[in-house]
Amino acid sequence: MEQNAAYEGQQIYHPKGWWGHYVFSQDHKIIALQYICVALSIGLIGMFLSLLIRMQLGFPGLFDSIDAGSYYQDVTMHGMIMIIYLLTALFLGGFGNYLIPLMLGSRDMAFPYVNMLSFWVYFLSVIILVASFFVPSGPTGAGWTLYPPQSILEGTPGGDGAGILLMLVSLAVFIVAFTMGGLNYITTVLQSRARGMKMMRMPLIIWCIFLATFLGLLAFPALFVGAIMLTFDRVLETSFFMPEIFKGGEVLDYGGGSPVLFQHLFWFFGHPEVYIIALPAFGIISELISCHARKNIFGYNMMVWALIAIAGISFIVWAHHMYVAGMNPYLGFFFATTTLIIAVPTAIKVYNWVLTLWHANIKMTVPMLYCLAFLITFLIGGLTGLFLGNVSVDVPLSDTYFVVGHFHMVMAVSPVLALFGGLYHWFPSVTGRMLDDRLGTIHFWITFIGTYLIYFPMHYIGFLGVPRRYYSNQQYDFIPDSVADLNQFITICALIVGASQFILLYNFVNSAIRGKKAPKNPWGACTLEWQTLESPPGHGNWGDQLPVVYRWPYDYGLPGATADFVPQNVPDEQIT
Amino acid sequence: MAFVIITAIIVIGSVLFNFITPWWFTPLASNWGSFDQTIVITLWVTGVAFVLISGFILYCVVKFRYREGHKAKYEPENPKLELWLTVVTTIGVIIMLAPGLVAWQDYIDLPEDALEVEGVGQQWTWSYRFPGDDGIYGNTNGRLISSKNTFGIDPLDAYGQDDILVRDNKVHLPINTPVVFQLRSKDVLHDFYIPQFRAKMDLVPGQHTNLWFIPTVLGTFEVACAEFCGTGHWAMRGEITVDEMADFQTWLSQHPTFVETMNESSEGRGRQIVQSLGCVACHSDDGTTRIGPTWRGSFGTQRTLVNGETLNIDDAYIKKSIMNPSIQIAAGFASIMPAYNLSEDELDAIVEYMKNLSVE
Amino acid sequence: MDKHQPINSEPGILKLSHAQVFLYLLLAVVTILFLFLTNAYVFRMNFEDWQPLPVPSLLWVNTCSLVVASMGMGWAARAAKANNKNNLRTGLFVGGLFALVFLTGQFWAWQQLIAYGYVLADNPANTFFYLITALHGLHISGGIVAWIVITKKSWKTDDAKSRSAQVSLLATYWHYLLLIWVMMFGLFLST
Repeated sequence: MEQNAAYEGQQIYHPKGWWGHYVFSQDHKIIALQYICVALSIGLIGMFLSLLIRMQLGFPGLFDSIDAGSYYQDVTMHGMIMIIYLLTALFLGGFGNYLIPLMLGSRDMAFPYVNMLSFWVYFLSVIILVASFFVPSGPTGAGWTLYPPQSILEGTPGGDGAGILLMLVSLAVFIVAFTMGGLNYITTVLQSRARGMKMMRMPLIIWCIFLATFLGLLAFPALFVGAIMLTFDRVLETSFFMPEIFKGGEVLDYGGGSPVLFQHLFWFFGHPEVYIIALPAFGIISELISCHARKNIFGYNMMVWALIAIAGISFIVWAHHMYVAGMNPYLGFFFATTTLIIAVPTAIKVYNWVLTLWHANIKMTVPMLYCLAFLITFLIGGLTGLFLGNVSVDVPLSDTYFVVGHFHMVMAVSPVLALFGGLYHWFPSVTGRMLDDRLGTIHFWITFIGTYLIYFPMHYIGFLGVPRRYYSNQQYDFIPDSVADLNQFITICALIVGASQFILLYNFVNSAIRGKKAPKNPWGACTLEWQTLESPPGHGNWGDQLPVVYRWPYDYGLPGATADFVPQNVPDEQIT
Repeated sequence: MAFVIITAIIVIGSVLFNFITPWWFTPLASNWGSFDQTIVITLWVTGVAFVLISGFILYCVVKFRYREGHKAKYEPENPKLELWLTVVTTIGVIIMLAPGLVAWQDYIDLPEDALEVEGVGQQWTWSYRFPGDDGIYGNTNGRLISSKNTFGIDPLDAYGQDDILVRDNKVHLPINTPVVFQLRSKDVLHDFYIPQFRAKMDLVPGQHTNLWFIPTVLGTFEVACAEFCGTGHWAMRGEITVDEMADFQTWLSQHPTFVETMNESSEGRGRQIVQSLGCVACHSDDGTTRIGPTWRGSFGTQRTLVNGETLNIDDAYIKKSIMNPSIQIAAGFASIMPAYNLSEDELDAIVEYMKNLSVE
Repeated sequence: MDKHQPINSEPGILKLSHAQVFLYLLLAVVTILFLFLTNAYVFRMNFEDWQPLPVPSLLWVNTCSLVVASMGMGWAARAAKANNKNNLRTGLFVGGLFALVFLTGQFWAWQQLIAYGYVLADNPANTFFYLITALHGLHISGGIVAWIVITKKSWKTDDAKSRSAQVSLLATYWHYLLLIWVMMFGLFLST
């Protein structure tokens, strides 16, 4: 590692050659792009799988090849890909890597080499995951929750083959990657900020990614332990989770294990996981909404405390996924209470975003459109969570389409809207060009209205009692034919929304090559990533001199200034 | 202001949809109306919150739209307002949580003096057991399960002798009588769910779980498995018929006790086996095609496989289809059937049964 | 001040070097991992059919090896601070050697148990034992990889003090893994 004498202090690695620059780069900006590319690619596969699911539900029998086995494989891989390999990797590996050093006024992450390793280990986990599609019995079809005993037995696709094993190995490798990356982010945020960048002057998105990383570091080990134990049960015929089982006409060679133990381990990870996805989305919204409404974020301190509360409480709500799982019923009281308590700091965040719009000066840019759509859809998703969290209400609604509607709204629709808004907002920083507004607006409307039409009605067939993870509803009299009609409608919407994502893809690629050149800081943002000497930022980010920070990141509409924003690195004497 | 108009339509449309939706709770057929009530309270609270907040957002978007030269008001904090909002939200949460917890207390408080039934789940069918006159279930053990003793009841346990066994998918219950279900699974996780009763509970292999309700409406209701249990999860349909007490007793008396089943002749044994192993979830005996081919009229005919080969359905074919189905998948069907490791006896009995289905 | 810390920057929240923060966080994550394993072990232990595993007395010897390894690494860390290159080399040697002795002893203990018929899949107590000792052993192996890198750099150098930060961190890791071993060993003994 050479030290460039022109840079103050902080050592960074200077790449040699094409491979060193673009493939095995230790520059956080390149690594971020690598994460984004791989995550979006695997996400496209996840989206394709969702369309297969919708084809079976909307037009059963149209494709002979979608039988019950392959349907469940689609359902499982769709869920796992989207949650872990797309959203977690994209928000933390993608946005986290790009923004943390830039927004903190640092040259790079604390350990650039480990950062690079974390990407390649993530890439390896994706390869292993994709490999499971090519083994003889195909990928696992156990549901993304992989509950034993069925997940490792015949009767579930991939259960008695390599499918489940490759899944578990891939998860373990992913967790190693995440740990490496996560340790880097925490170290950088705690220890490597520019002068004047106190913790309470950090942009909210940094707080969000920071806390999400903490959640991950403490929660992923539970999944790791569960995955190892499940692998042992599968390969070595141990009985961590396997009770006495009579199947296929015989008593199997297992006994004494507890399936509920797996669920505890899984959801101890699983619930913080949804906050690992939600928190960075919250962060993106905080940045975008204040910048595009040209107004300071309302209640910064409370926002930070709310985030800390959400992060803390998220560790003690997990068994709301297990109310009817056969655990001690008295635990239901505890978890219902903690779950509804966590609604309070979450609601405060929503109020604060909305109050940011009050007396603001709102520009209806494409990122602002995404923010507003996020608020509407997150309201639906968050409020429907209150139904499911309330233990007795969960009794009729658990494992129905109400749950499917809820978690898609709150994890797939609103964070993805935030994600698209963020891509739009930071595209000029990364590429130096603007994304096309017209295409962006069209893509926005189709995605927003389309996903709303897909998931809102699902709550009502959930009230009816239509169970989730059903290949076909035909046998059940209590499910009227109108549900089949609804499924058809939803499928058509899904196909349209799916197709429209290619508008974004086209916009992305086309604008990166020949989009309108972006002026420096095109949105007039206060945060540091826009205040670099060059735009896009060069290697080492800040040229010779690291920035010095004089204010919080939300001095929009500062009284006494002529401009409607004052960047963080502008001292009082220099306010125009 | 396209955004405001379109989003207003979405919000108002959502509220309207709530009132005109064709998809709502199934008609309640049990005592768990308190769940419905809690849902309605929650809908009101969340609905009002949704409309108010969305409305406020849209109002802001109109009133505070961008004007050149104008600056937003600089208001970093308002602790009083935040506190007030926190209090209001907490009250809202309590209004929803309290009735929910009360209902839960009722749900987990099993009534004394209730009719007791055991529900047994397996891939992919249900079976039931009543404790008989002595009111006590006989002990069961997974290692005792066989096609003759499908519940795995210990033949040496006196209490089990009079247990009444319901070996098909259909159970009857008497109206207006509290019923406590003891639930267990032979293989993987399942969930016993009847939408009209609003009740559900997982069946966990290796332990017992409980569920209770009072059926309040006569009729037949469907049981839908609500915990993913393999490729046949969606086909694991059961039936509960609610009768007047007298009719229920009549129905019950038509079912054998454990002792009687152990002494049953082996005629009809093939049929018992296929019922006890859950084959009926995917194969019919009346000619209808389900997930798997029908058995009726199949023995002695030619069958084309997915690989183009044509085989004669004889003893060997049937046995191989049971022990190693994946190498012999019929054309037009998917390779979903798991293997069943049965004894020669059991296989012979099934072949007998198949022959009978093709004779008439 | 950490050489990674630019001169003109905000002091870190913690009065530690970047590498120290990284390592301590990593140890927190590893602690959670072993906590979950312990939790699962205790959960399972409370079932009626629990059959505890007899603890081979070889494990006491292995524990002593690990203690010696820890002492060696501690000595190396102090020697580096005091710029004593000979003691540094000796300390590192002892630390690495006895960690390897520990690992060998663990393997041997496994062989003993298997020879007596306590195989992996028979009984949950067995499986937990093998799993926990294997994971601990894997972490020791990871430490040995780091040890190889650091010892290579430290062996040749005359300036022992320059290796002080790295050797201290390695010693911390060694002490930590000893602590984890003591806790897990205690868990096995107590059941």
